[in-house]
Amino acid sequence: MNVNARVLSNRLAQQCSLKRIVTFSTKPTQQAAAVAVPQQKDAANSAPVRKPIVPAHYRFVYPEFLPDPKVEWRNTVREKLERLDMLDRRRQIELPEFYVGSILAVTSSDPHAAGKISRFVGICIHRERCGLRARFILRNVIDHQGIEVVYELYDPTIQKVEVLRLEKRVDDSLFYLRDALPEFSTFDEQMEPETLEEGTPVPINDIKVVLRPRPWLERWERQNLLGVANIDQYIKDKHRKSAEKVQKPWEKYDMMKHYRATIPEEEQKEIFAEVHTELHTLELQRKRNKRKRSFVKPKQLA
Amino acid sequence: MLRTVICDLARLRLSGSASPAAVLITQVREKGHLSRPRLRNPYWFIRQQRTRTDDLVTGENRTFIKEVVHDTYGVPALIKGTQTYEQKQLIKTTEAPTDAEPWTPAVRRCGLIARKIGQYPLWLKNGERVRTTLLQVVDNHVIKYIPPEEYRPTQRPNVHHLNKYGCVLVGAECTNPALLTKEYCGLFRDSGVMPKKNLARFIVSPQAALAAGTPLNVGHFRVGEFVDVRGKTVDHGFQGVVKRHGFKGMPASHGVTKTHRRAGNIGGGGEKGRVWPGTKMPGHMGNRWRIIKGLRIWRINTKYNVMWVQGSAVPGSTNGLVYIYDTILPLRKPKDAPPFPTLYDNADANEPDDIWYDQVHSFKEESISYKPE
Repeated sequence: MNVNARVLSNRLAQQCSLKRIVTFSTKPTQQAAAVAVPQQKDAANSAPVRKPIVPAHYRFVYPEFLPDPKVEWRNTVREKLERLDMLDRRRQIELPEFYVGSILAVTSSDPHAAGKISRFVGICIHRERCGLRARFILRNVIDHQGIEVVYELYDPTIQKVEVLRLEKRVDDSLFYLRDALPEFSTFDEQMEPETLEEGTPVPINDIKVVLRPRPWLERWERQNLLGVANIDQYIKDKHRKSAEKVQKPWEKYDMMKHYRATIPEEEQKEIFAEVHTELHTLELQRKRNKRKRSFVKPKQLA
Repeated sequence: MLRTVICDLARLRLSGSASPAAVLITQVREKGHLSRPRLRNPYWFIRQQRTRTDDLVTGENRTFIKEVVHDTYGVPALIKGTQTYEQKQLIKTTEAPTDAEPWTPAVRRCGLIARKIGQYPLWLKNGERVRTTLLQVVDNHVIKYIPPEEYRPTQRPNVHHLNKYGCVLVGAECTNPALLTKEYCGLFRDSGVMPKKNLARFIVSPQAALAAGTPLNVGHFRVGEFVDVRGKTVDHGFQGVVKRHGFKGMPASHGVTKTHRRAGNIGGGGEKGRVWPGTKMPGHMGNRWRIIKGLRIWRINTKYNVMWVQGSAVPGSTNGLVYIYDTILPLRKPKDAPPFPTLYDNADANEPDDIWYDQVHSFKEESISYKPE
């Protein structure tokens, strides 16, 4: 898949907007997206600005390269060593671009599995942490039983990460699938990877999942979820009132909070300038290899 | 005071006697108890920072001072990931001494001053994940060696047969000497090393003595060996029992009032009707020196002087100073000789930057797979 030519559309930016500030989240806030739109127009009118060398979408494709923004935990040497290790691992294995809501198949070595290898297909419901600690959660329903597996992205026991369907959802994390009807988190294990044409933006799946009746694992009504259809069906007035009480609508204007929760753009540029060439060559190499691969006739299923 | 009172009394008694010429008699009985030598600090505990005054120094003079510093110590340089100065013209012993005695298991080696720079996981070849802490050895140089005959500390460290051991003073992290006091800079004059921000003393056997000016690097330790790490724990301030000792507290509701995070009972009655010593109670938490012992070194990076040690419980905050020693745990002491007295940097370009312990999976290797039975 080509990630270079992809442009982040305005619609995408608005849809991904946060309701609360999430640490490590690289998605622009609603307010930032609103500000970004006129800026783009200004830029078009004014003199042509030199394009940055590092593509702007890298912070979405490789979010784990950005360190934890907590100042007390930062150290340049540590971050550098960590990035070198990440690149070393990426030379060994293709860790493709994926987002919360994408469907992945992870093949990993497992000493307890029958053939010492296990493959798990599921939807990515959560991505967190940074550096070598980056991890994600895959969820699927197998034999009427919801299964979730936490994978560490840089774990060397992972043999292969395939993206079966590259798409995004409208929320930052999909933990509400645990309380949704099972068909919303059921995916075929024999699913064929769907190819996306080069240069197209990552599609956003704005499907609204249907929740089971209460009791729920979390108070979803307080989280301003966009991907849930029937929250109102199950909550009472008292829930509605308490949900209103805990809302923090001013937080989107809290620039300091946002600043502390993210890595500033200048630093992002520095970090990606360091790893960009390596990542780019890896991308090109993978693309070339993919083209070289001969066509295998798909097996007929059942 | 007591002594003066006794003296006065003695004088009174004497003056009351027949002889008019006062004879001063000091009682010897309590003399030793009263005139015991005070616990003095080591001589290198001197005020470090000069008082910052708004000197009426012109810009030209300021650049002149900078030039002098650069002329004597070299220009600022980033060496092994640490900001320091090129101390090329300084006399440094880079070769190992020819008459060095061999290592024995009973010998005590010098330690290192490091900074805890963060933590991240490594994986073993069997797929196991280990959490590691990264310690960066920051620009260490030996400042002085005090032989056993001369080393008589007033505050005796808890070391058996201290009279057999000498002391090595090690400094870490060069700094601009213009900011330091004259006395503090004087500590470094004989060694030829630039004034350092941090000093530490290590109790060593005389065989492990190091000449002043010797640079100490992470190669002092080897992968697979065990180390003890000493640091000052994070200061939490005055804390209650829930945070300080992990008590459960009381229920939040069900008729409980005014006691949710309190300790509850602190003692019995009757014969034991008192608070026993050592009872866990609220108090100051953290900001204490602690040694975590027996951490394995999983990996070493010689380019940035970094070592990866087992665990994430190294005392202190990220970017805080820690001191690394050979472990004192008897079963984890090295069996064969480590670099002794230290590894002298012979600038071998063939050596790889990264040295991995053989159980650790290097990220440059292929993914781990298990053999089917």
